[in-house]
Amino acid sequence: MKRRPSRLAIAAVVLVPAFCTIALLAFGYRGPEAGAARSAVDWVDAAVRLGTRNVVSAIYLNVRLFDTLLEVLVFSVAVLGVHFYLTARGEAEKVESIPESGVVRVAADVLMPLILLVGAYVTVYGHLSPGGGFSGGVIAATGLLLTALAIGTRAVTDRVGHRFLDRLEWVALLGILVVAVLPALLGRSPLVELLPPGTPGRLGSSGSTLLYNALIGIKVFAGSWIIVRHFVDHRGEI
Amino acid sequence: MIARVALLILLPITAGIALVQRRRLYAIIGMGVFSLLLAAVFFLAHAPDVAITEAAIGAALVTFVYVLAIRKTGRLTVAASEVPALLERTGEQVGGLEWEILQRTATAMGLDLVVRFLPHEEVITAVLRGEADIAAGGIVSLEDEDRLLQTPEHLPTVRFRVTGGAAAPWAEAWPTTLQPPRGYLSDLIDAVREGRAIAASLDLARFLALSRYDLNAYHVEKDEEPLSYTFAVSPSRPDIHRNLVSVLTQLRSSGELERMIGRHLP
Amino acid sequence: MAWLNGVNVSIVLFGIGLLGLVLRRDLVIKLLALGLVNASTILCLVSLGARIEGAPPILGGPMEAALIDPLPQAIVLSAIVINFAILALALVFVMLLVERYHTTDSQRIDRETCKEQEQEQAQGVKHANEDRPLPKPKQEQRETPWS
Repeated sequence: MKRRPSRLAIAAVVLVPAFCTIALLAFGYRGPEAGAARSAVDWVDAAVRLGTRNVVSAIYLNVRLFDTLLEVLVFSVAVLGVHFYLTARGEAEKVESIPESGVVRVAADVLMPLILLVGAYVTVYGHLSPGGGFSGGVIAATGLLLTALAIGTRAVTDRVGHRFLDRLEWVALLGILVVAVLPALLGRSPLVELLPPGTPGRLGSSGSTLLYNALIGIKVFAGSWIIVRHFVDHRGEI
Repeated sequence: MIARVALLILLPITAGIALVQRRRLYAIIGMGVFSLLLAAVFFLAHAPDVAITEAAIGAALVTFVYVLAIRKTGRLTVAASEVPALLERTGEQVGGLEWEILQRTATAMGLDLVVRFLPHEEVITAVLRGEADIAAGGIVSLEDEDRLLQTPEHLPTVRFRVTGGAAAPWAEAWPTTLQPPRGYLSDLIDAVREGRAIAASLDLARFLALSRYDLNAYHVEKDEEPLSYTFAVSPSRPDIHRNLVSVLTQLRSSGELERMIGRHLP
Repeated sequence: MAWLNGVNVSIVLFGIGLLGLVLRRDLVIKLLALGLVNASTILCLVSLGARIEGAPPILGGPMEAALIDPLPQAIVLSAIVINFAILALALVFVMLLVERYHTTDSQRIDRETCKEQEQEQAQGVKHANEDRPLPKPKQEQRETPWS
């Protein structure tokens, strides 16, 4: 039964490509204009002063730390929203655990520590090479996810502790705010690094960027796991 | 250079293919592929941070969360016994008159139709136990009508009695179907032929399927009691019952039902 | 082929995402299209800072003079993770909707909600707090230290 397309559909099919064509022709990017090219010079100074080698993390963890703090808060609120809306209705579904085949279990046994290690590495070395808290936390969450696929989220929460990761997320958020605010209480100007920058290129350099990376990593890891656990508990195991 | 251009051209193509898919699962997988391509573009654009993050999130977490979300929204389980022309397996697919009706109901409800073929006597118990939502496959009469919701009939039928040529035809009340063997219909006929079963009581669809075989050796009687095929829905899902009833009434009123019957049972 | 760069492709992707959002009726695919719009935005931002002959913005490498602009990358980095969390929240709402109306068809859900609304208006069902006036502030204007 072919329905007549609605007016909105007709309008969309006509207007959206027209809009895109106009945008491409009028504002289409033809490559960077010579001379107006913005390079990284401004930010490189900040990175050198801070002692990190990753200029990007020097930006979002030091120069523009406010944005990162508030975005981390948005992440927490989203996780809280998922938690609230999926648990306010009670344990509606019976969670069936599907035992996975041997290959998945063995692969999960072997791969999970590796993935967690890679996630931790990417997090901790975030100020020296690409990565940082956000990437590393997500990678570590993928590792835990793999184990959950193999043995079920019930088993994972039994081993880790039922509320441990929930509380860990909030503790990490609190830690981030404390690390951001503490320098002000200690007499230095706010949002300046808590720890002094050491020699650049080593792990202990770059001030509190390391702390921020680690705390954000823990936070993203715990938050992603909470989201996934709620989805799985609400719908049944994979 | 070539890689960059190729990836940039592939991106809208992959996105377009992913978003026009009919099945949600294919669209999700397509978007996962798109995320990986996007991560490669970020890498070639000298943004390794963004590439790592996008690959980890787009390929793993987003796909996983979507698959979890659509998982339960599509499952309409049908326990059925295989009946030719009503609900049968043709190679890999399932087809038949009842399958079409059930498929329309499933699409109307936004569910995925899953058909489990069971032996005839286990079909009703499966629905009562809660393992399946609908019982189909030539269900004609139900002793426990109060436990299951039934839908209005979609196909009238009569019973045929096929009795073995060697044994004397039975004249009284029809013989119960003695232990119908599982699976294929010809086993039933073989049982009658070998004398293991005295008579077989079959309904229209099975009888029509039997016409492939040579029935001259048997004595066939037609029962006058009018029966019909129905579906039986588990009582815990009144929404399925409602949808099935509305689909059936819609099919009947638009004349589609007769066309479908004509297609499957000439 | 200077016109084949990330910004233009992101405009095209944005268009595809918008079309998918409007034309497809399935809620889950609408969300996927919204994710595509997100992806097009981050592609645009990252491509604005990219140079073909540049180098990733990590110090200590061989091409230190030609590092590309790291600001867009810093902007989008946390945005990607936040998008995932918001998407999960949106999926939760979709799941709740689907459980209530047993369909992912947005037009059907629209019709059912309109029907419910009409029924509620006909029956005079009031939701909580609909008619209550806004609460007055607890105290009158307090004496602030600087007033």
